[in-house]
Amino acid sequence: MITTTGLTRRFGELMAVDRLDLQVDRGEVFGFLGPNGAGKTTTVRMLASLIAPSDGSATIAGHRLGQDNSALRQRVGVLTETPGLYKRLSAWDNLLFFARLYGVSNPEQQAEKYLKLFELWDRREGLAGSFSKGMRQKLALARALLHEPDVLFLDEPTAALDPEAAKTVRELVESLKSEDRTIFLCTHNLDEADRLCDRIALFKTKLLTVGDPAALKQQMYGRRTVVHLGNPKPGIENELQLPFVTKTEWVNDRLLVSLSDPVAENPALVRRLVQLGADVQFVSELSVSLEDLYLDLMEDNHDAS
Amino acid sequence: MTRLRVLLLKEWRESMRNKMVLFGVILLPVVMVAISIVMLTTGEAESDPIARIVLFNTSLLYFMVLPVIIPLAIAVYSIVGEKEQTTLEPLLATPITDNELFLGKALASVIPAVLINWASFGAFVLLTRLVVGGYLLQTLTAPWLASIFGLSPLLALFSVGVTMIVSSRASDARAAYQFSSLAVLPGLVPLIVYSSMKTLVDLRLVILEGALLIVGCFVVLRFAIRLFKREQILTRWK
Repeated sequence: MITTTGLTRRFGELMAVDRLDLQVDRGEVFGFLGPNGAGKTTTVRMLASLIAPSDGSATIAGHRLGQDNSALRQRVGVLTETPGLYKRLSAWDNLLFFARLYGVSNPEQQAEKYLKLFELWDRREGLAGSFSKGMRQKLALARALLHEPDVLFLDEPTAALDPEAAKTVRELVESLKSEDRTIFLCTHNLDEADRLCDRIALFKTKLLTVGDPAALKQQMYGRRTVVHLGNPKPGIENELQLPFVTKTEWVNDRLLVSLSDPVAENPALVRRLVQLGADVQFVSELSVSLEDLYLDLMEDNHDAS
Repeated sequence: MTRLRVLLLKEWRESMRNKMVLFGVILLPVVMVAISIVMLTTGEAESDPIARIVLFNTSLLYFMVLPVIIPLAIAVYSIVGEKEQTTLEPLLATPITDNELFLGKALASVIPAVLINWASFGAFVLLTRLVVGGYLLQTLTAPWLASIFGLSPLLALFSVGVTMIVSSRASDARAAYQFSSLAVLPGLVPLIVYSSMKTLVDLRLVILEGALLIVGCFVVLRFAIRLFKREQILTRWK
């Protein structure tokens, strides 16, 4: 649904996006993560045909960037970082205006559908300027969906929202997953990305890595089993002598054992520990957060550059 | 409904809800017409027909000022308002073309300015006839009518072009309004010329001014159109 090849954007001397190669499939929720100033918004603006790339090419929803941008924009919806609503117009007038600009054949029906879906129907005559941040964001999301786009670009959809409003918006995004739309989610909320995205890309001017969150964590850290022992015995790890154990370390009196296949190898590990006289209390898998992965990759990138 | 018409209707709907715009668009012409009628019926003009004719011609100059001033407020709030509300990006994300956007913004200011100017002039003529008498209208010569009906759209267009350029560079509506007010001063040249000539406005002068305004509009609008590209708006506008 989205393919980019060597997509590049420079602003004078400043390189904002450097040779981005991406492939996002239909119906996928794709997280695009990176720090402020990484070039996420510039990427979205290029993909939504708002600004032209300096180099490279992209195809979005079957339209090649730069060939018929008007038709391309017809197929994509954009939720910008700020809701960008006409404050002196009602929620209803805001939606009707955009529905007509998109050439929606039944604008009133579509506006009603999304106002009801986002529970704003009762406030349709209220001025957008009088809405709370959460309501504005919902209205902006409704606007982005009015013309039933195949691809939806969400730029920091929960930034600056209180936890309750952010939760509402996340639930709405989750509900969109079931509609076979491709969602390109720019965020630096890692927990949100972990929960919502099928795949993520870590990006800082250039692509650092891409993959599904669990696979990326495994790829970077492997799988580790945490063993809680009633009688921690430093040195016991040297006596394990199990071929599948690749690394061991003690952290806070807990033994961390790196394995390639914990499901198959944990029973043998536990048996061996018991054999060596250890009191095994709990065995669990060490969970690595997306935040750890993000911070490590960003640090590596910083060191490398 | 075409996208241009959709944009125009939205612009006017928004303008109608903006007190600053309404003040410039409605109150100013009403005040100018009222002042003109009061001038024609009081003081020296009450007893001196010559003074009354001179004042009548002076009042006609207002209808060369209104098309320059009326679009200022609409154009400023139409562009700076979009910036303040951060609505430009969602608007540019729609299939609207750069030309439609430019034309929509420009016409949203020019059309009401011209129509209101003509309506104010009509009201002034009508009130003059009712309150003062029809004889004054005999001084309303063809060059005057050509100025009011022919030059005012050009004056409005020039004013809108200048205001659009200024507004694209400003992030504050008041600053844009103040700077635009200065920048449109060349549009008031006909007013200055006429005020020095009193009643001697001839058709050659009107044609010359029309030609100069066409050139001025061409230059200003050409520059404004260049600023109204998506890329420019998103990356260069302040």
